[in-house]
Amino acid sequence: MKVAYDINTLISKFKEKDKIALSKLITIIENEPERAHEIFKHFENIKHDSYIIGITGSPGVGKSTLTGQITKKVLEEGKSVGIICVDPTSPFSGGAFLGDRVRMTDISLHPNVFLRSLASRGYKGGISRAVFDISLLYEAYGMDIIIIETVGVGQAEFDIYNLAYTVVVVLVPGYGDAIQMQKAGIIEIGDIYNINKKDLGGEDIAVQIEMMLDDTVFHSGWRPPVSMTDAIAGEGIDDLIQNIRDHKEHLELSDAINEKKKSRFTYKIKELIYSKIQKLISESFINENEIKEIVDHAVDDGKFKIYRTIYKKFEDVNFEIKKK
Amino acid sequence: MSERKIRVLMSKPGIDGHWRGGIVVSRAIRDAGMELIFGGFQNVEQIVESAIQEDVDVIGLSIHSGAHFAYTQQVIDLLKERGVLDNIMILVGGVVPAKDFPKLKEMGVANIYGPGSMTSDIVEFIKTHVKK
Repeated sequence: MKVAYDINTLISKFKEKDKIALSKLITIIENEPERAHEIFKHFENIKHDSYIIGITGSPGVGKSTLTGQITKKVLEEGKSVGIICVDPTSPFSGGAFLGDRVRMTDISLHPNVFLRSLASRGYKGGISRAVFDISLLYEAYGMDIIIIETVGVGQAEFDIYNLAYTVVVVLVPGYGDAIQMQKAGIIEIGDIYNINKKDLGGEDIAVQIEMMLDDTVFHSGWRPPVSMTDAIAGEGIDDLIQNIRDHKEHLELSDAINEKKKSRFTYKIKELIYSKIQKLISESFINENEIKEIVDHAVDDGKFKIYRTIYKKFEDVNFEIKKK
Repeated sequence: MSERKIRVLMSKPGIDGHWRGGIVVSRAIRDAGMELIFGGFQNVEQIVESAIQEDVDVIGLSIHSGAHFAYTQQVIDLLKERGVLDNIMILVGGVVPAKDFPKLKEMGVANIYGPGSMTSDIVEFIKTHVKK
């Protein structure tokens, strides 16, 4: 028989630092986000703050291996680490192959580590909807450090910027030329740039990044440093960690850490509001079937009419809202 | 909104370099809409700890070393010790002779997939038998 867990039992076990309880609470929050309140109301007098690091970059640049190496060093200092790794959900099957944990097998048994792999489940922005909630659970659990590893990103999935205090953008040799460095998006959001796989070169990328940074005005007073690592060999990790530490210190001294915290909460509050509105709209205004009807009609009867149809819908709903 | 997804851990206990089977089955599980956590080479403690932290419904043990009785028993014992055995279904695959199936089932393995098994059967079995 499958054991059923009730929230109160889980909460009290969680408070005794039971990892099974932490894991079950993560599952609840991921599958039923509307129950977050039910869980977090039990933690309202916990004051603990974790330091939150984001690791982002394209697929295959070594984010997971780096995460493992950073964690290993942090553990040596006697600190605890909560890790969240996100990999993409298939748009075809809804399934996912979560292959980040396999890069961190050597830290997986450490008592001060907890690692959860997440599928993005259709959420855009390089993370999953549950990432904020799980980071909050880790804070309540008392983790010193939280590391959020994003999905392998392209140019525009930069939600991590709103969720982590220090964002490490990981690049590899051959990333791109001076033009790529000028583009908006992911290449702008690093507090630290780290070129991994330095055994394959990468000095050219370091120069390009430095030139890009030289052309940027940093109102915060923090000019991102560039580090180089060979994550598999464990080389350069100390430099990267020193950079993270320096950035943390910068945030704390300049009080910018509070701005970072505010941006985390703003992000989550907006997400809660928008997902609620989205739900209301799909329930009351237009649902998947109606969209399908419009689309079928557009294919049969001409694509230029979709604007008329949809704006007519907007007017109708406007009318409805005004009535209320 | 989010829905409940079946989560499966695929592990290779011990030292055994035969990746292909585990990868092929993992891919089939992904394509069937489940979330597959690829554990790769793991010792028994790592398998159980991963299963706990990932809160999986199923552990798939891919074993080609001939040591299926020993590893499977150790995984089952440790899951039991940690108090999570009742919530996790165990499947074994790899080079396992059919004559060993009954004993594995007796030990608590839900099903065994030897050479020639169909991935569609594995997927179907998981979907049918995972207790919600």
